[in-house]
Amino acid sequence: MTAPMLLLPILLPVAIALVVLLIPSRVKAVREVISVLASIVLLYFAWSFFTIKDLTWKVGWLGNGVDFDLRLYHFSAFILLGLAGFLFLIALYSTVKMKNVPRVREYYAYVFLTAAFANGAVLSNNFVPLIFFWEGLLLTLYGLITIGGKKDSNRTAVKSFILGGFCDFSMILGVAILWKITGTLTLSEISVKPEGLAAASFILMVVGAIGKAGAMPFHTWIPDAAIDAPVTVMAFIPAALEKLLGIYFLARITLDFFVLEKNSTLAIVLMTIGAATIVLAVFMALIQKDFKRLLSYHAVSQVGYMILGIGTAVPIGIAGGIFHMINHAMYKCGLFLSSGSVEHRCGTTELKKLGGLRQEMPLTAFGFAVCALAISGVWPLNGFVSKEMVFHGAVETGYIIFAVAAWVGAILTFASFLKAGHSVFLGPRGRDVPAVKESESPVFIPILTLAGLCILFGVYNKLPLKEFIEPILEGHVEAGEHLDFSAHALAVFNPIALISVGCLVIALLLHLYGWKKAGRKAYLASEPVHKFPVLKQIYDLAEKRIFDIYEQGIRFLKGLSGILFKLVDRPIDAFYEKGVTAVGRAFTGVLRAAHTGHYANYLAWSIGGLLAVAGIISLLLK
Amino acid sequence: MVFLFIALPLVVAGILPLVGKVSKKFLPDLLANAVFIVLLVLVFFEGRGIAGQEAAVRELSWLGEPLNIRLLLDGFSLFMLFAVALVGFAISLFSIDYMDHYGSKANFYALFLVMIAGMNGLLLVTDLFQIYVFLEVAAVASYALVAFGLGHDELEASFKYLMLSAVASAFLLAGIVLIFGVTGALDFESVSQGLAALDSRFLVGLCAAFFILGFGLKAALVPFHAWLPDAHPSAPAPISAALSGLLIKVSGVYALTRVFLNVFGLTPALSTVLMYLGIISMVVAALLALGQTDIKRMLAYSSISQVGYIVLGIGLGTPLGILGGLFHLFNHALAKSLLFLNSGSLQMATGTRKLDEMGGLGKRMPVTSVTTLVGSLSIAGVPPLNGFWSKLIIIVALIQAGRWAFALIAVLASVLTLWYYLLIQRKAFFGKLNEKWASVREAPFWMTVSTVLLALLCIATGIFFAGTVNSWVRPAADAVVKGLQTALGSLGF
Repeated sequence: MTAPMLLLPILLPVAIALVVLLIPSRVKAVREVISVLASIVLLYFAWSFFTIKDLTWKVGWLGNGVDFDLRLYHFSAFILLGLAGFLFLIALYSTVKMKNVPRVREYYAYVFLTAAFANGAVLSNNFVPLIFFWEGLLLTLYGLITIGGKKDSNRTAVKSFILGGFCDFSMILGVAILWKITGTLTLSEISVKPEGLAAASFILMVVGAIGKAGAMPFHTWIPDAAIDAPVTVMAFIPAALEKLLGIYFLARITLDFFVLEKNSTLAIVLMTIGAATIVLAVFMALIQKDFKRLLSYHAVSQVGYMILGIGTAVPIGIAGGIFHMINHAMYKCGLFLSSGSVEHRCGTTELKKLGGLRQEMPLTAFGFAVCALAISGVWPLNGFVSKEMVFHGAVETGYIIFAVAAWVGAILTFASFLKAGHSVFLGPRGRDVPAVKESESPVFIPILTLAGLCILFGVYNKLPLKEFIEPILEGHVEAGEHLDFSAHALAVFNPIALISVGCLVIALLLHLYGWKKAGRKAYLASEPVHKFPVLKQIYDLAEKRIFDIYEQGIRFLKGLSGILFKLVDRPIDAFYEKGVTAVGRAFTGVLRAAHTGHYANYLAWSIGGLLAVAGIISLLLK
Repeated sequence: MVFLFIALPLVVAGILPLVGKVSKKFLPDLLANAVFIVLLVLVFFEGRGIAGQEAAVRELSWLGEPLNIRLLLDGFSLFMLFAVALVGFAISLFSIDYMDHYGSKANFYALFLVMIAGMNGLLLVTDLFQIYVFLEVAAVASYALVAFGLGHDELEASFKYLMLSAVASAFLLAGIVLIFGVTGALDFESVSQGLAALDSRFLVGLCAAFFILGFGLKAALVPFHAWLPDAHPSAPAPISAALSGLLIKVSGVYALTRVFLNVFGLTPALSTVLMYLGIISMVVAALLALGQTDIKRMLAYSSISQVGYIVLGIGLGTPLGILGGLFHLFNHALAKSLLFLNSGSLQMATGTRKLDEMGGLGKRMPVTSVTTLVGSLSIAGVPPLNGFWSKLIIIVALIQAGRWAFALIAVLASVLTLWYYLLIQRKAFFGKLNEKWASVREAPFWMTVSTVLLALLCIATGIFFAGTVNSWVRPAADAVVKGLQTALGSLGF
């Protein structure tokens, strides 16, 4: 492995994207075969890179410190491996699910370009190429959402683009400030205290990172995209890839570029964002009536745990946050893929119409169950481990309120997955859906793989914690501090774990209560919460998108442009239209009226002119 | 050789009516166009001859005896001769197709060439009376040409033009007589020296007023302009182009510049009067153009307005102002003759000159539409076309001289200009095709060649404006400035 090989994870996907674009649409299997093989190759190289872990490659580019600088080290190698894994699963899944999509060539091209940009962003060790790749992701995401082909797909694509663009702009601003402060653009050389101007830079860059990860309030395109974009795109990008990138960057910001102190103002800001994201998004998730939309709100809510974990700035919290990132990517990807499997067979993801599918789609049901239990934090799955670590970290800061928020999130997460699983796979068979059978193997293999990984990372959590997570923190805790999170990871008999288990019990009771109350209709199990006083009004406002910063921003801009139009543009226009034109026409009218065509008039003017000229000349002669 | 500028068109004009008996179309076309090609070649030949020298004065002789007729070829005359030959050539090309349906082509060419001979003569002569003579030669030919269609309007316009011109000529002659009376000389140099030695400022001021009426009427400065909007549109399109593009500039602006700057010397009083005449013409005529519904009348008013710019630049009297004025004169000659020729194409295709009746013709006459757009934008002063640069130079010169108000008005007037030219473009070429013109076709070959040639010249002059200015306009402006410096100080006012 030589240093220029680092270009391979960037250039190979680009080449594949070009190749699949060139293959005519009517040629069927070739495209799928190429993409799966290419993703296997990428996975192999990602694994090889992960075993090397240390490689840099740098060429001068624009001067002034702007170099094309790639750096492979433990953290980036880990993210690279994760990205390659998800790319492979998605490519495999797409061979069936995306077979008959109208713009299938574009779809594969965008997917591989996305992979190229993501790999480039992870490997970049200079902010300028990083931003280049980071921005490229906006474009491919835009393209991928439009492939959904739904009524509002284009609108949602624009929404994602503008929200992402805002966050990226904020990040660029932060980078610029950081450049001004440190005088360098090389990531590995930067380490400053977040004070004064640097604090502003910190906030701006955090906005860029959590915006990419899809935290509140920059999340609002995700629930829309759940309906409007292909499900594979949801499973690939908001569920997995953007979490990896966003949290990777957030971890870099808080660990490397800035030294985030425990319980500093900025740490508390981060934890607040995390806690708010957990609670608010999960409340929205609970009442959703659509399988994919429900999942998408969880994709937002779970980001909160990661941000909360990293914001605690204590080793176990940070490790928990990063571990939660990879765990979430796995089970949320698995969940989206199983919803895609249901959609694939049943043609709908509305909870009301589905039901009792466990008989017909046992593998999908199993995969879903494992992932759902994992996301809910059920012992001994991976979600339990990482959430416990975040809880521990939150408690360790002394601000119990954040831990409480996280527990509330855990209750509602489990409740909503009970509702979802109950509605889709248990209960009486829905009559709106004809008899179906299990999906093809390329569809259920990725789901089962991810479910298996969820079990593995939970039961044998030593493996990921030792291999992936702990090395990231090395050098960021005091020397000699014990860095072993796996020893008690599955311990249940401590106060924090007991509270967590209690939360799950509460969630179960809540679900059963709601289910009974709604006349044993599982999809209405969340109605007690939905109809709860005060909450109901808030939910109604949320349904009207009152809290959607994009919609509000658009409304504000429309209002502003309306006001400007009426107060500034129209008066100016009226000045020209009515004022200037009318005055011009009035003069023109007078002058035209004077031109009667009578010779005598014209002669008189000439003589008058002569007299005037002679008069003026003699006046001026004095 | 210099004498050929006058003799060649005159001689060909003389034989053309005879040729017309033999060949109705082909030979007159050929001869007329050949004359212009020869004139163009002569311009380049003579231009190389005087390059580097001050000026060439040629004394005419007949069988070895001097005739006391002296022709002067300096940068200014050469520049104007070039403009006349170039635009004249485009016009005669256009006439090949356009004048077919008028009949008596030979007579038309003969009159046109007489007018050209008159203009060329005016550009070369060196004394006041000869100016009067050639002015009348060109004018008499133009009276006939305005009336060439022989319709009611043409005759009325021609008559009005003739009567107003006669008044102007009378005053011109009166002025010349007065000058001759007080200085005893007619040639520029002696008159200039004679006036310098003279101590009767009011008499000279009166003469200046007479000259302003005379040349101002020829140049159609407001308030002496009223004949032009009748006369120019009435003539056949090529003649409209020649009148607006050349005649008003030669017998108006050139004569004015020659007499005031090189003979009288541009005193502050004269400068003020000329600048005010220029700015009034510019604004009043632009407003009048705005109200027109007849495309040729609109163009005619536009000519008055643009002459206002030229006189403003020259009247300013600074080297840069003169340069800008002369450059604008050249650019306007190109663009305005292009526009008048295109109005001829439109009239030939649709039979009307009313803008309101046209509409959507751009689809049927794409070349005419595009060339009109080029001409319009050029006159309105849109970069990078030639008109932009000349207006810019004039405005810069005004600002340099501290005449902020004039500069501002000049800018605003050019907005008005753009306004009415866009009106033409929108009403005639853009929008929905008027059903009436569904079968309209693009102008015939030679007409198209001629307009495309002029449009390309507009573009080329704009893009290579530095080259044009340095090789043609600057020598002319230098000649004027030099004459101005020798004449200045010679007068008491």
